[in-house]
Amino acid sequence: MEPEEQQIEHAVILLNEKLLGVVLGILFGTGLFLVTNFLVLKGGRHVGAHLGLLSNFFPGYRVTFLGSIIGFFYMFVVGMIVGVVLGAVYNKIAKA
Amino acid sequence: MAVEEKLASEGRGTMPGKEQLARNDLLRAFAPLHRTAMGIAWGVVCGALLAMATLVPVLKGNDFLSLGLLGQFFWGYRVSWPGVLIGLLWGFGVGFALGYGFAFVRNAAVWLWLTVVRSRAEMDQYSDLLDHL
Repeated sequence: MEPEEQQIEHAVILLNEKLLGVVLGILFGTGLFLVTNFLVLKGGRHVGAHLGLLSNFFPGYRVTFLGSIIGFFYMFVVGMIVGVVLGAVYNKIAKA
Repeated sequence: MAVEEKLASEGRGTMPGKEQLARNDLLRAFAPLHRTAMGIAWGVVCGALLAMATLVPVLKGNDFLSLGLLGQFFWGYRVSWPGVLIGLLWGFGVGFALGYGFAFVRNAAVWLWLTVVRSRAEMDQYSDLLDHL
């Protein structure tokens, strides 16, 4: 058996794909939720004119409180997919 | 479980009981990230995201997000069908650099932290050396 220090040198962290997906999903979703509501609370003449362009990617999303909830779910799914793909590709290569 | 599987696959997970668990916890805490794997994983994700973000305006026939401005940084990138492929490649390149860099910095930080902890432990161990002479 290798000495402990060499084991540490040769070991590689593997990622938990599902957990990474959930974490990134929550982060992405919460991010869009907060950004949207920040603009809603800030108010003004053209509320979230640029952020509203996300509706081209996420049908139904608007810069309103209801839109922030819809956006949360969209971004949760995006984050989930990103996390799962990231973890799967990383693990596949790290195990090889 | 991932580290245990890795060790088992390498024939190094043969120690039974609590000692094995303690060793695995130690490895889980200090094992480095695989830099190339992290780079490729980030590359795949960033490349796919940029390609899909380009694809939507291409299909709609309107660069509503002014994504074409990315051409200022990514040579050859445009909101067009060839631009989807070029965006994929640029996204992969940038993502790879980010992922590799992230893993490199994280591993360096862990190594630095371990060095400091070990140095402090050695200092504590030998601090009363002269008292024993």
